[in-house]
Amino acid sequence: MKVSLFITCLSDAIYPRVGEAMVRLLAAHGVQLDFPPVQTCCGQPSYNSGYWEETRTAAKTILKAFESSDFVVSPSGSCTYMVHHYPELFKDDPHWLQLAHELEAKTYEFTQFLVQVLGITDVGAHFPYKVTYHPSCHGSRLLGVREEPMTLLSQVRGLELVPLPFAEDCCGFGGTFAVKMSDISGAMVSEKVDHIKETEAQVLVGLDMACLMNIAGNLRHRGEQVRVMHLAELLYEGVGVT
Amino acid sequence: MNNSQSTPDWLQQLEEQSRISQQAFMDNISTRLRRPRMTEAPAHPYRGAPEFWSGFQWSEQQRIDKFTTHFQEVGGHVVRLQTMGEAAEFIADHAMQMGARYLVRQQQPELAALRLEERLPDVQISSWNSDPDEAWTARAAEADIGVVIADGAAAYTGTVMVTSAAQQGRSVSLLPTVCIVILPVDRLYTRLGELLIPMDEIGRENLPAGMHFISGPSRSSDIENDLTIGVHGPGIIYTLLVG
Amino acid sequence: MNPAQSTQGTVKERADVALNNDFLRNAVKFTTERLRSGKQAAATEHGNWEEWRERGRQIRLHTIAHLDYYLNTFVENARKNGVHVHFAPDTAAATDIVMTIARHKQAESVVKSKSMVSEELHINRALELAGIETIESDLGEYIIQLAGEGPSHIVIPAIHKNRYQIAELLSEDAGEELPPDTTILAGYVRRKLREKFLGADIGMTGCNFAIAETGSMVLFENEGNARMVTTLPKTQITLMGMERIIPSWEDLEVMATLLPRSATGQRLTMYMSGITGPKRTADGDGPEEMHIIIVDNGRSEQLGDPEFQELLNCIRCGACLNVCPVYRHIGGHSYGGTYSGPIGAVLTPALNRNVAEWDDIANASSLCGACYEACPVKIPLHDMLVYLRRRKVERGHGNRWESLGMKGFAVLMANSKRLALALKMGRIAQKPVVHDKGITIKMGPLKGWNTYRVAPSMADHSFREHWQELSEETRRTAPPMDAQTRDRMEQILRQRRASGITGGQHE
Repeated sequence: MKVSLFITCLSDAIYPRVGEAMVRLLAAHGVQLDFPPVQTCCGQPSYNSGYWEETRTAAKTILKAFESSDFVVSPSGSCTYMVHHYPELFKDDPHWLQLAHELEAKTYEFTQFLVQVLGITDVGAHFPYKVTYHPSCHGSRLLGVREEPMTLLSQVRGLELVPLPFAEDCCGFGGTFAVKMSDISGAMVSEKVDHIKETEAQVLVGLDMACLMNIAGNLRHRGEQVRVMHLAELLYEGVGVT
Repeated sequence: MNNSQSTPDWLQQLEEQSRISQQAFMDNISTRLRRPRMTEAPAHPYRGAPEFWSGFQWSEQQRIDKFTTHFQEVGGHVVRLQTMGEAAEFIADHAMQMGARYLVRQQQPELAALRLEERLPDVQISSWNSDPDEAWTARAAEADIGVVIADGAAAYTGTVMVTSAAQQGRSVSLLPTVCIVILPVDRLYTRLGELLIPMDEIGRENLPAGMHFISGPSRSSDIENDLTIGVHGPGIIYTLLVG
Repeated sequence: MNPAQSTQGTVKERADVALNNDFLRNAVKFTTERLRSGKQAAATEHGNWEEWRERGRQIRLHTIAHLDYYLNTFVENARKNGVHVHFAPDTAAATDIVMTIARHKQAESVVKSKSMVSEELHINRALELAGIETIESDLGEYIIQLAGEGPSHIVIPAIHKNRYQIAELLSEDAGEELPPDTTILAGYVRRKLREKFLGADIGMTGCNFAIAETGSMVLFENEGNARMVTTLPKTQITLMGMERIIPSWEDLEVMATLLPRSATGQRLTMYMSGITGPKRTADGDGPEEMHIIIVDNGRSEQLGDPEFQELLNCIRCGACLNVCPVYRHIGGHSYGGTYSGPIGAVLTPALNRNVAEWDDIANASSLCGACYEACPVKIPLHDMLVYLRRRKVERGHGNRWESLGMKGFAVLMANSKRLALALKMGRIAQKPVVHDKGITIKMGPLKGWNTYRVAPSMADHSFREHWQELSEETRRTAPPMDAQTRDRMEQILRQRRASGITGGQHE
């Protein structure tokens, strides 16, 4: 059984701790992750900007990297959903189209993998803090990951989950949107952080490092002390596995 | 276009132009849809509400309760009465209370039978379109009260339906300050679809020119999303549920 | 009124103006939040919302796929009802027909109910130029008409104005000081417009739905002004987008379920009117002559285009505006067209044949998908925004620097060794600007980002650099997988193989 880690760019370059938490947490449940080093980016930046030819180049490296995997698991709902666009990109190319369909069927976001595939809802974590959860748009709306993180969080001992007002509102990241339309994006992330502050949570948890990087950046800019974590990190820290 | 041209001639000319444009317009659609012009009705497998909905029915008491709740929630008034006589009494009392001077009603035998003229000797009461020389919309516009009978109603949305005819003006339920709708209980259905589907069955030729589904008083939220009642239509509307 | 005014500059420039207008942002935010929570409550109360959405989508898909049949059926039936039907391929043709009718009627005044098509055609301007008084009778439309502006929301046109601004506009109109009290202001408009309704020569309306099988047109409204417009003047002109068709009254039940709930959270608007032809000979009121102008104006361009045909399914409820975080911050006028919000960002370039508006409208979205989720007929607006961006690139209208950047991106992502090297180089390059794992300089591409945030620095070692070590560690420490988990996973694999892997989501 080959379960491969699709690390995604941000967790690779900026937040390796997220990948490390996933690897160790899953290992504790007997899942030895495989890491194909030839993987690069899912291609979302170029896809969303309209550069589909360039996207195909990136997509092919991903399709090749995971060709022999039985399961692929990723710490991002957004990058996982990007794989669902691959069949559309290769609709005129039977070879790559077949690989695209296969990858779409076997790729799971981290909490999907934990709950749907492994059937785990309680990792035995203890995390005695006030936590609020931001459901990232692509993961929740498009990929449909809504219940899994809630189920996992509800089982964490000592954790007080505070609902985030207007939780479903986009944080304003949107990839190149944050650069091209920086003032609109800035207004959106400021509003998101206002809502986070209303909860008085000590920790913000989510499933997508892009959104969390955006929110954490604004929190730090404003000198706020809220800790920002991926759910994998929170669970890993909570079980204290070494 | 020449203004001196007679209207029938002018309309005839417009009609000819329209038929020429129509051909090109429809051909453009089918060309873009990449198929020949479709002239036979296509199978429409998704017609109307989802299947589970068409079996949905409330009991008469539920219909009355729900209609009342829904109509009142948006600012309408509902009065439950047993007989048309009670309705006549209610209208007369109400007209006197508000000091009404003009009342206009549809020209229908059920409304004539209310004998409002006898009950309200000081109120000028007009029966819609009873005199061909009268300016009927002006009469309705100056009326304090308009009285109509509903052709049907849907409890689910809290809606009454009124239709136009020679004896039934659209203005009567629209222009007066207060609109009073008499709704016989046996015309109160559960779903809006029960009022709409018969329109398909009656067929084009038999439809009235105006069908109006009224769910409460005229309202607007256009200024700071602040609810205002009675913007253009009646700000006060009563449904008298009779029977 | 200068509609051209709103389209000056780029979306980014117009948005910057809006972002610095606190009142506008608060007003839009307040109202859209009420509307979207109202919609949510209405959908929940009604129940089975997904089934209704799917049914609405199917009815619209079916009608548009057979539009020639249904539109033609509507036209023939409307004619039998005594309606004069006209066809307008573009703005010029529509204006010409309206003016022809107005001239023949020697009209001095036209009273209108809310119609987005008439906004799109700028019909008021044409009538005013001919010296014909044109009065918007919807309260919000009347206000923006006095202000000389276009609507900033599909359903709530004056969403961007407060009661003080409105009181000022109406006071000027009245020639006397009116207090900023909603009831008094609305009362003034009621009295003023009553006279106008009774005196107008022509009533002009839009059309929410046109029923093919009976040739009827249907209007949804709350104020009663559309009823006035279709009851009092002797001539009625209805402007109708060619895609407003539904087959039957039975189908109207679905639209009447979806439209008011999605727009304002109402079970039904206060008035829903079905108009089937001009008044009957013996009727005491209603228009003696009724014209329906069927407008294309770029709509047919979407037919047969697999990426954009669903745009014609739109029922103009405005739900996508109310949930859009971008719209909430920049307001409707920033979009620079008649239609704003997510639907406007796609519809405006589409109606302009996808080429006239090669500005940055499609970029004004974070692609969060809230619009799709809110849409009562499930139009994938977030996907369409990406298609627009792609077409712009494919047709050579892309930004030169961005194109170069994307080429570089592809080179990097084609090979993980290049990527790893680039990450290493980045780590070295960032050294001078990193403080406490953060970067605050406001230069180059980080300028916009760092105005609102602190950028994170790259990690001391990337995940891939640490992998070998990590892998060895877990190999030593991890327990074997238990049999139950293995069974689950094998079961999933077997199911996947049995289904022949045709893609799609899990479960």
